[in-house]
This record gives sequence, C-alpha cells and structure tokens, in this order.
Amino acid sequence: MRDTASGWSRRDLLGVSAGALAAAVTGFHDPHRALAQAGPWAVAPKSKVDELNFVVWTYGDIYTKISKKFTEDWGVKVNGTISAFNDHPTKLMTMFAGGETIDVSQSSPFSFANFIAQGLVEPLDGLPGAAEYAKDFTGFTKQVAIQGGKVMGLPYFSAVWVWNYHQDLMDKTKLEPFKSYEELLEQCRKVKKDGICQYPILWVAGVGLEQLPGTWYQMTWNRGGTFFDKDGRHQLGPGSIARETLRWWAATFKEELADPESLKVQFTASAKAFGAGKNLYRGPNHHYGLNVANDPAQSPTAGKAKVWGSPGDGRTVGVTHVYFLCTANRDKEWAWKLLQYLGGRTKDGRYTQAENLARDAMLGSGYQSVMDSEVIKTGWAPWGDVAAILEIWKKATYLGEVVNSMYQPWHFPWSDRLNIEVQKCLTGQIDADRACDNLIKAIDEVKRA
Amino acid sequence: MAIRSEPAAAAPPVRAGRRELAPGRLALVMNLPTLLTMALVLAYPIGYAAWLSFHRVGPAQLRRGEFPWAGFDNYVRLFDDPLFLLSLRNTFVFVAIVVVVEIVLAVAIGLLINQQRVWTSRITRVLILLPYAIPPIANGLIWSFLYSFQFGFLNRILFTFGLIEEPVNWAGHPETALYAVTVPYIWRTLPFAVLLVHAALQGIGTELHEAAAVDGATAWQRFRHITLPLLLPIIVVILVLRTSFAFTVFEEIRAITQGGPGDATWVAAWYSYKKAFEPPNDIGLGAASAWVLALIVGALAIVYVKTIYRRIH
Repeated sequence: MRDTASGWSRRDLLGVSAGALAAAVTGFHDPHRALAQAGPWAVAPKSKVDELNFVVWTYGDIYTKISKKFTEDWGVKVNGTISAFNDHPTKLMTMFAGGETIDVSQSSPFSFANFIAQGLVEPLDGLPGAAEYAKDFTGFTKQVAIQGGKVMGLPYFSAVWVWNYHQDLMDKTKLEPFKSYEELLEQCRKVKKDGICQYPILWVAGVGLEQLPGTWYQMTWNRGGTFFDKDGRHQLGPGSIARETLRWWAATFKEELADPESLKVQFTASAKAFGAGKNLYRGPNHHYGLNVANDPAQSPTAGKAKVWGSPGDGRTVGVTHVYFLCTANRDKEWAWKLLQYLGGRTKDGRYTQAENLARDAMLGSGYQSVMDSEVIKTGWAPWGDVAAILEIWKKATYLGEVVNSMYQPWHFPWSDRLNIEVQKCLTGQIDADRACDNLIKAIDEVKRA
Repeated sequence: MAIRSEPAAAAPPVRAGRRELAPGRLALVMNLPTLLTMALVLAYPIGYAAWLSFHRVGPAQLRRGEFPWAGFDNYVRLFDDPLFLLSLRNTFVFVAIVVVVEIVLAVAIGLLINQQRVWTSRITRVLILLPYAIPPIANGLIWSFLYSFQFGFLNRILFTFGLIEEPVNWAGHPETALYAVTVPYIWRTLPFAVLLVHAALQGIGTELHEAAAVDGATAWQRFRHITLPLLLPIIVVILVLRTSFAFTVFEEIRAITQGGPGDATWVAAWYSYKKAFEPPNDIGLGAASAWVLALIVGALAIVYVKTIYRRIH
C-alpha cells in the first residue's frame, strides 16, 4: 500500500524509522549525518540486482566517480554507455529499439518531450522521496522535470546564457563592454578597423539542438520576443522580433564582424576558440563556458574571459537538463536508487553529483538548496565572477517559455529545419524573411510527419 | 565396328555413391556456404529494410514488435520532401567528382608505381596505402582540423606560398563545402583503386609495349592503344565499386560538416541517418530513403555493365 501524499509505502516508512533509530544511536555526535541517513536515499531496495546501467552523454570523468561511489555504497556494479552530446538521442533510441535494458538515462529539455512520447520515460510519482525532491526543484527544473503534473525526472544541471568578453582585447580598445546591440556593432566595427580583431564576435552557431538555436532564442527573448506563444502559435511572421533578430544577426556575418568559424563551433569548441584570444566577444551561451576559456590547461589566455550580461533589461534564458528513469529498466527500485545518485542524493544524504558538478565543471544545479549554498559561490569562483553570474541568473527565464514547442515531440525535427534555414541565412544564401517563412511552413510539415 | 576400350590403368577406383559431381553441381555446392552467409548478413537486412519501408516504424514499435502498415506512404513523403531531393542532387555531384577524379588519379599513380626501374616506386607503393588504413571518422576529423578557417594547416600553407591573401572557409562556405568534403574522401579511398589498377598493369605483358616501341609508337600512343584498352575491364570494376561506395558517403560528412552549412552537404546517406536514427526516429522513412539509394546504385551498376563492360568483351 502506498501513501500517495508523501510517496512512501508502509515498508519504506518502517525501513526509514529503523534507519533513523540506528542513525540516532550511531550518529549521536553528528546530528547532520544522523538526519541524512534517515532519508529514503539511505534505505536499500528489497530486491537484488547484479548490475545496473545508465546511458548518458560525456562530461569529464563525473560518471566514473559516481559509479564508483554507488558500487562502494551498495555493492552493485554500474555500467555506463557514454556518447557525445549530439549523439546521445541516437544511441539511446537505438538501444531502446533494440530491446536492451536501460535503467537510467538523461535528456536535454529539447529531446525530453520526444522521449516521453516514445514511451521511454517512467514517471517518478510515488517513489520514496520523489515528492521531497520536487519541492526542492528550482523554477527551471519544475518546468522541464514536471510534465502533465507528474515528476518525470531529476535535474542533471542548469545553465543560463551569458556573454563573454576578452579582457586583454577590451583593454586595447579602451572601451567598456556594450550596453546595447547598436553599441556592440559600433565597437566591433571599430576594433576591426583598428586591426585589433579581424573577427570581433564568435557566435555559438554550430548545428545542434541548443547551440545555434539557443543563440537565436536568447537574443530574441532579450529583445522582447518569443518563438511560440502559450497556445503554440508561432511568432515568426513578418515584423516579428525573432525575424528582425535573425536579420540583425545575419548582418554581422555579412559585415564580416562575425567569425566564420562560428558556424561550426559548439559549446566547448567555441569556449576553447575564444581562449585563443582572437575575438573580443563570445556569446550568448551557457555560463559555464568560462570553465573552459579560463582553464589554464585548455586556454592560453586563461583568466581573461569575463562574463557580461545582456543589453536592455538584461533578460536572458536558462535550461535544466534531466536524468530520467527508463521504462526499459531491470528493477524499478534499484533504477530509482541509481537515478538518485546521478540526479539526487547519495546514501549520505548529500547532493553529491550536483555539488561535484558545481565544483568541477561550474554547472548550476536544478535544486534550490544547492543553488543557495556555499558550494556554488566557492565552486565557481576559480573561473568567473560568481556574483555577476548569479545576478544574470535572476533575470533568466526557462527556455520553454520562449520556445513553447519544446514541449512537443515535433520540436526535434523542427530544430533540424531551423539549423538548416538559419545557417543558410547566416551564410547569405537566403534572407531572414525566406528563412522564417520556410520555418513557418516546416511547422506543419513536421507536425504531419 | 565398335571398339571396346579398356579402362585406364591409372584411374582410381570409383566407389559406389561417391562419384565425382558434375561441374555445375560442384560449383553450386562450393558456392552454397558463401550464398547462405551472404543471404544471412546481406540479403536479410536489405529485405527487412524493404519491409520496414512499407510500415510506420519508430523505436517503440520496434521494441513492441508492432508495425502498422503504411503502404507507399513513406515513399510519397520521401519524394515530397525537398530536402531529400536536394540530398540526392548533392550525392550525384559528390559521386561524379569522386569517381572521375579517383579513376584518373588511380591510373596515373598506378602507372607511376609500376615503374620497376625507379626504386622510389617501391616506397610510393607503401605510402599510397597508408590512407586506406585510417578509419573514416578519424580521417574526417583530421581534415576538419586541416580545413579550420583561422587555425587550419591548409590555409596556412596556401598563405605561406602566397596563393591566398585571406583565409578561405573551405568547409564552412556553402559554395565550397561539398567540394571540400570530396577531397578527404578521395584521399582515403583512392588506394583501393590504385591497388586494382596496379594489379591490372602487372598483368599486361611487356612484349606488347616492346613491339609497339619497335614500330615507332610514342609513349602516349602506347598508353592510348595498348595500356588503356587493357585496363578498361578493371576501370569498369572500379567504376561500379567506387560509385556504389561513394553513394553511401557518411563519415566525412558527419565529421566535417554535419550536412552544413545549411543544407549544402546533405547527402542521401546523411538524410537516411538523420531521419531514422534521430528523434522522432522515423525508421520507416529512413528505410525508404535507403532503398531508393540502393535502387539507384543498382540501376547505375547495370548501366555501366551493359554500356561499357559488354562492349569491351
């Protein structure tokens, strides 16, 4: 019998009570530890499994560490299938279609609706502790992890879009970072004319779900526009802010202010390229690019990449990526346990993965308690101005409010078309009007398909 | 008057039921294992793909084993999609460039390394094989670095020799991207064609060239009237094989341009991959596009054989 209000079964409750009693005895001198061990995350599932697995995209060695910890804590081996970010949906879907067992996987918010529609995602409601996690979700996380009133995942990380400028080059220009888009263009023209930079702006405009589209989404939102309203009607027609933003963006390529490499680079590659010190501005893109551009091991100009907010009222966008429990799991209770190690609390009650990600990779958390903690302030400090980033964070809106189609399964194929049409526009093959008209036409096509 | 012949003394005794098979049957038996293997690893997947192309298939359907019938719907959608037609057009351009350049270079390099008197030809023979040992995706990545706009070696070399004044965005410009992708592909696959040509050249007797030289034929005339006609059968083989392989180019596209900029380097195999293996994983449509590609390659192979190979024989 399950208590739907708290998501705990009677058995869970008894287990937790026994754990709490034991913890109270053993942890008498460490109340925090005792409390942590009392949670559902410290209770072993009743069933037995020999191994578990997850299918994720790569990020440093975070998965080696957390798998090791899981095995140490629970004695169960964890296998990982790890691919590149853009290849992850393909890998996951192929494994799912092939009938393989997948306990836990992850999703960008752009693919999540599709994964749900294809039946890959198991709702978490009713699982021990799920409701408590949901209470600690940030605003971004709620919008992606809770779908149709059900908790569908736990947060992997959160990020907001920021601009970067290069301190050395800025010093040479004797200017202050831009406060409007007109000023941005004027500055770029000047530094190009003065021979300080051949290509002052490096955009993140490589093909992807979040790279090139994200740049357009952010700049459109910052200017007061959206792509779809709450009822799903597109906002790409003549005179729309999205269309005018694209026109403005394409002009930066036509004027040769934008680095042509922009069309190939994605997150990390663009941050590394920016570290070469050849561009005055980079952006707007994920705040944690500073983790690469200011890393001495990856950048010859480490420490020179600075964070900068967006023009006008400074509004920007943000996202949360999620881990989810796959319907193809081998054992729901154990899969939930593994899911918590990746996106929730470990046995000791800590948000171990989220804290490590903040310290090692400058990633934001999908949990409010982590975002409010010292971990963020101290963890991010080596790479950038934490106060400035958190100030930008306050002005961030979840991308789903800007691009409502993210909640639809057809968003993924529509993004494919978006990448094509926008790159054609940026390379001067078509103008912004034609690109937007084609994208409007594509909405019906992808919906039909 | 009938003459009764005595059995040959040297012939081994034939045991009942162990008679030698007729040549036709022997050939069938000898080929059977290969045929079965090919049927299993090639014909079955190809047939299965054909079957999928007439159904509505996604990952969920594959997992459940339920496949709603779609008739020709996937094919109709395919030919309604301008992106597929563009991908086909790009594929034809790519194949035409690759096949022509490879044949010309293979013959030229084959002739060069066939020179027994030139000791460096032995070194060249080894070196020419190296690209063939490089995995396609690694080859693509190597060339994407070479093509890099601001930091690439290609632009640096051209700039150093004064051949360009500004860096060229080889793989990032819509007018050059498709041609830029052909170069790494040719670089990787050329050794195969060179090997075939070289093997064929080894089979051409020197007496023909010697006789022609005695009759006063120039080097060009000997090539034109002796070497080239004798190479034609192998050139047709290269034509068929290279055409069919080039039609399925994928790795270099994946590593260097990912179909971009825009749709400038979308080719048919890339289209099939994107449709079938990326959400929403329209596997039926992907299978249909793969089948259209296979039919085109098959038709071209038949045309090659009928128009060139038979004429030679």
